[in-house]
Amino acid sequence: MLELKDVHTYYGNIHALKGISITVKDGEIVTLIGSNGAGKSTTLRTIQGLNRPRSGTVTLDGVSLEKMEAHKIAEFGVAQSPEGRMIFPRMTVMENLEMGAYVRKDLTSYKDDLEHVFSLFPRLKERINQKGGTLSGGEQQMLAMGRAMMAKPKILLLDEPSMGLAPLLVELIFDIIKKLNEEGTTILLVEQNALMALSIAHRGYVLQTGEIVLADDAKKLMKNEDVQKTYLGVE
Amino acid sequence: MQPNIKTGITFGIIGGLLTFLFGGWSVAVIGCFMGIGLGLGFGGRIEKSTPFNMAKEASKPGFTAAGVLLIVSLIQNFVIQGLIGKSQAELNTFIFSNLIAFLGSAGLTCLVVSFGGYDKKKEQTYKLALLAAVVIAFPFVDNFTELRWTAQIIFALIFVILGLGLNIVVGYAGLLDLGYAAFFAIGAYTTGILSSPVHNTEWNFWLVIWIAAAMAGLWGLMLGAPTLPLRGDYLAIVTLGFGEIVPVLFKNLIDVTIKEPLTCWILPLFRIQTTCITFFEHADLTLGEKGISPIGRPYLPIIGEFESSKPITWYFLIVALILLSVFIINRLRDSRLGRAWMAIREDELAAAQMGIDPVKTKLAAFAMGAMFSGFAGAFYAAYIRGIFPSVFDFSASIIILCVVILGGIGNINGVIVGGLVLMTADRLFLPALKDFLTALLTHTVLPSISNPAVQAAVSANANPILYRFLLFGLTLVIMMAVRPEGLIPNAQVRAELHANEEKKG
Repeated sequence: MLELKDVHTYYGNIHALKGISITVKDGEIVTLIGSNGAGKSTTLRTIQGLNRPRSGTVTLDGVSLEKMEAHKIAEFGVAQSPEGRMIFPRMTVMENLEMGAYVRKDLTSYKDDLEHVFSLFPRLKERINQKGGTLSGGEQQMLAMGRAMMAKPKILLLDEPSMGLAPLLVELIFDIIKKLNEEGTTILLVEQNALMALSIAHRGYVLQTGEIVLADDAKKLMKNEDVQKTYLGVE
Repeated sequence: MQPNIKTGITFGIIGGLLTFLFGGWSVAVIGCFMGIGLGLGFGGRIEKSTPFNMAKEASKPGFTAAGVLLIVSLIQNFVIQGLIGKSQAELNTFIFSNLIAFLGSAGLTCLVVSFGGYDKKKEQTYKLALLAAVVIAFPFVDNFTELRWTAQIIFALIFVILGLGLNIVVGYAGLLDLGYAAFFAIGAYTTGILSSPVHNTEWNFWLVIWIAAAMAGLWGLMLGAPTLPLRGDYLAIVTLGFGEIVPVLFKNLIDVTIKEPLTCWILPLFRIQTTCITFFEHADLTLGEKGISPIGRPYLPIIGEFESSKPITWYFLIVALILLSVFIINRLRDSRLGRAWMAIREDELAAAQMGIDPVKTKLAAFAMGAMFSGFAGAFYAAYIRGIFPSVFDFSASIIILCVVILGGIGNINGVIVGGLVLMTADRLFLPALKDFLTALLTHTVLPSISNPAVQAAVSANANPILYRFLLFGLTLVIMMAVRPEGLIPNAQVRAELHANEEKKG
């Protein structure tokens, strides 16, 4: 279980997260929605140790993460498909996936996991020897997710997986996220596409200028008037 | 004109120019090297078919190049030699050496190209066998033909090891190190201090070379630890600083006193009477500007002590060291650590998110790279028999970096070729060009100049060795403009540099 308690994060003097508390229980999909600059990505960066919280605690399965180094956090079981994908552009698809498995000490199921990634993303198998940088945006998104899956994480952080993708591809990606969760992966999903995100999530948090303004079951959030007005575009 | 013939003429002219400078037997050796070079450069362009057909196809540029070389050689011997006031070669020697050059160059071109007709595995084996034969035969041929190139080639090979080591840091881990010669100096001085009669410490070379490598690696760790959290330009500037500090340090280690702190300072504070243990007192470790000389040399049973008059033994020692380095570096590159280096080079942040410890990984690259320059330093010290602080200045670091960039960042074969090309040009080609120019001028232009001041100025300035760094710089500028990925590029670097160009074919 991932738990953030009253987390305050700053960029210099800018107060980006003003006391955020989030829990993600094992086996859940939890989504974090909000407009640009609400602090969604900052929340993920804080979990990963790329930004340090000035106060508050971040714990995963009872172990505190807020002072751990970024690579140790990854080793401990937090994997992410980052915003902007951040794949290794000059490595092949296969090498990128291998890098995902770098943290794993137990490689007994490595081949099966690779097959599993390829079964979810058959496109990656076709491009197995292609350089990551030459893939299309959608393929890069698939690669970033596949790479994160290869780490067999305790929790998977997905930052804007729908960004810049064609609507058909967005649906495909969200289907896969749902499938992953059904197979037992705990997921924290950050999205601007609130409708899609809420439709697959169990619970959701609405973030506004660094504060959580709403927290509820995803189904209830979808019916909430404020959410409908602001994020779902319902008049 | 057919492109095949054009390539042949280009190679023939390059070979011819070299023959021009060296004369005598060199034509045979240059011819054979030219043939292999043409075969390797040309092989990829010929459509794959049976070995015989490919060889037939290659014979066109092969014989063109050989023909051009022969013509140049004829002009050299019968026109130029007279012009620069040297006697022509004996007719027998001339005919024999040119026959070898002609048949050797054309034959080797065809042979190397014909390897392409076999399957990949066989092709590799044959190429390696040919390479091994050339490497082994070279010093003996050199000895027989009295060209005396081996001694200079050994210098080139020292820089090959240095290039291989720096390639780990710059090529694999992507850290720009502008002070790499510092580790070269540490390896050399470790050897100097441990095996010089000046210090009465004549340790065995075979032990010292490992200590030198370990010392350089250790210093790599110590210098890297505080600096490697830095990135990019900042790291480059800090390494530049270290590169300046280390030679100065060695220059000034001339009055060293090392006492054991516990017995000398701490216990006396508590008024406990002890005898102070002193390791060194006013010891002159490095002899400053004079440098340490002589330095002990390796000894092997049967061969005996390695001597400067017999470069062949040194040659095979450095070849063995290079083979060892290539083997280790190859294994490193394909290891978990090697992958981590590449990930760091690509994107440090993403690498950290994969669970790679950036600082530890970069430190490992720094230490490994330093270790190989320790090997090179130990060999260098023993080979030269003396070490002087001025050898390890900034320009040495830059030359090693040039070797890596010119050859092809991240590619072992590229770095080896880069080292050989750059350093043979520096050590063989430039002095030969100087001799040639001096001889030419004294027999042609100089007598016609009446003003003695002008005469002196012309003869003093017609020395290409003076323009060494200008030529280095020019080579780099041209390379970066024409072929930025280096002579034999790493596939990933090439992909990056030519990402926007359309693929041909």
